[in-house]
Amino acid sequence: MSRKIERLINLTIALLATKRYLTKSEIFRSVDGYEGAAEAKERMFERDKDDLRNLGVEIEVGSFDPVFEDEAGYRIKPEGYSLNLGEITGTQVALLSLAAEAWRGAALDDEAHRALNKLHSMGIESDMDALPIIAPRLFSTHSDFQVITHAISKRKRISFQYLNPELVAESRTLEPYAIATRNAHWYLSGWDVAKDALRTFRLDRIDGQIVTGKDENLYEIPKGFDVFDNLDVETPDKTTTIRIRKGKAQLLRSTALTTEDLGDWDLITLNYVDQFQLIDLILWHGEDVMVEKPENLRDEIISRLRQIVAIHG
Amino acid sequence: MAKTPQTPLSRAARLLDLVPYLNTHQGIGLEALSKEFNVTQTQLVADLTTLWMCGLPGYTPLELMDLSFDSGFVTIHNAETLSQPRALTDEEIISLLLGLDLIIDSLPEDREDLKTQALDLIQKLSQRGSVSSALRAVQSVPGTLRATIQNAVKGRTGLKMIYHSSYSDTVSERRVLPLELYENDGSEYLRAVCHSAHAIRNFRIDRIKTASDDSLTDFEKILIDEAPVAQTTYMIKTHSRNRTIMERFSIAKEEFKEELLTTSYSMEWIRRSVMSCSGDAELISPPQTRTDIARMAQSLLNRYLEQ
Repeated sequence: MSRKIERLINLTIALLATKRYLTKSEIFRSVDGYEGAAEAKERMFERDKDDLRNLGVEIEVGSFDPVFEDEAGYRIKPEGYSLNLGEITGTQVALLSLAAEAWRGAALDDEAHRALNKLHSMGIESDMDALPIIAPRLFSTHSDFQVITHAISKRKRISFQYLNPELVAESRTLEPYAIATRNAHWYLSGWDVAKDALRTFRLDRIDGQIVTGKDENLYEIPKGFDVFDNLDVETPDKTTTIRIRKGKAQLLRSTALTTEDLGDWDLITLNYVDQFQLIDLILWHGEDVMVEKPENLRDEIISRLRQIVAIHG
Repeated sequence: MAKTPQTPLSRAARLLDLVPYLNTHQGIGLEALSKEFNVTQTQLVADLTTLWMCGLPGYTPLELMDLSFDSGFVTIHNAETLSQPRALTDEEIISLLLGLDLIIDSLPEDREDLKTQALDLIQKLSQRGSVSSALRAVQSVPGTLRATIQNAVKGRTGLKMIYHSSYSDTVSERRVLPLELYENDGSEYLRAVCHSAHAIRNFRIDRIKTASDDSLTDFEKILIDEAPVAQTTYMIKTHSRNRTIMERFSIAKEEFKEELLTTSYSMEWIRRSVMSCSGDAELISPPQTRTDIARMAQSLLNRYLEQ
């Protein structure tokens, strides 16, 4: 294992240090660790190239001599190899440390930590004192989190089974654009290939493993794409008037547009998007909430109460 | 943090990253270095030994990296080729972008200056990788509130907080001694000794309205009285197979059956949840709660019909 690692490091150094392309035979002759028959060396080199590529090190292939169709040559361009974020302040290093810290124990902990190592290597002192005391935290231990971020960065398609409201798993193929988190849920947005439309999915409703396609760079991500823009497409356009008991139903109270004092009760109005979610919330509060308007919402509540009585009576 | 599994590739990556780090941290102690790279000291010494064998073709002492760490302090020379930190990978950029977006959301309103600096970083990072800047993370609790709670957990100091309990539908002041922060099902909870309830309680932190330091200290007595909170076993019969029920009662899809036997810490929660399911879920037991639900639904129905 150590030999292989040494060879990878030596190959990186040799390809970074060279000002011109190195041919394979030059590499085999000069870089320590390429041994055995010609074929074995070839195989070794191909694997090493793939391995370095997986580490994010791009090996550039070029012609050794542009005039003659000569043997291909290899090198690593320093500008592609090294981190270049331009001017960075100590405060910004502190912000990045805090950003990495937010992942502690969650899905991208290792990635964030490695990023931080590299940033620290720039040798800029982190100015933690410049920040207010905040401790933001991200949660996701979803096993496929890395699969999704990898697919996004490589522009690969992914396929998965998604549970619909009737609990039937539907096959989806997606060109993933972005992931986002809000209210303890993670969302995944992208182009649904079969529906030929933009769709957003909740990660916890994905059933089983996500499968990544082989091909890369299959699509472009629209500029300025924002998951939340696509989640909040429906504006609350329906209004209801409900009566809530004094000091009760905090969840409904917090969204009230107007509040009128009726003594033991308050009369509030609020806007909503989804009637079923609203009914769910109203019934959650039991005897502390009564719907006044609109009529169809009242009727729906009455019909549901009849059902509850019927099955529990 | 969990130790990263050792693969030749992850080790090679670490070696490449050690060189630029050492370059800007000449003379760093082995202990501090192993902490920074999240490896054991034995592993670190093995890494440094391997690095010591590497260098430019030729591999005479002149071309090899010059590492010294026998004294317990590490210095590196003759490593110019690898002296620049490596570019960030797309996954690393994604982790930082999501973290930065979360920070922007957590900053106090009067810190526009920091927001500008964070946005500048987001722009720089998005340009480097092939990832979009459209990675969003919204905090469910204000960053300052969370910091107050976290500090109280670390320092084992009291907290005075205003808490909204959704089960009992009340907002009240609680004086607590924080024990730990933990995550369950994507939400974060504070486990604390509650002075008001004289018991250990779990608070969902996005329901904590305000929190401030509290000087209350006589928590030891309460801890002694503490008995484990009893869970109630209940059975529901599902009248419809749907995602809402599955998510509300936290049932795994494979375990979704017509009759489900499960547990909850709160009778109030069971009652409210069954009401919310409006006929799709029937409470079979405990029988008393079943009767309560029937009575409450009937009384509410009567009030609607009287109007």
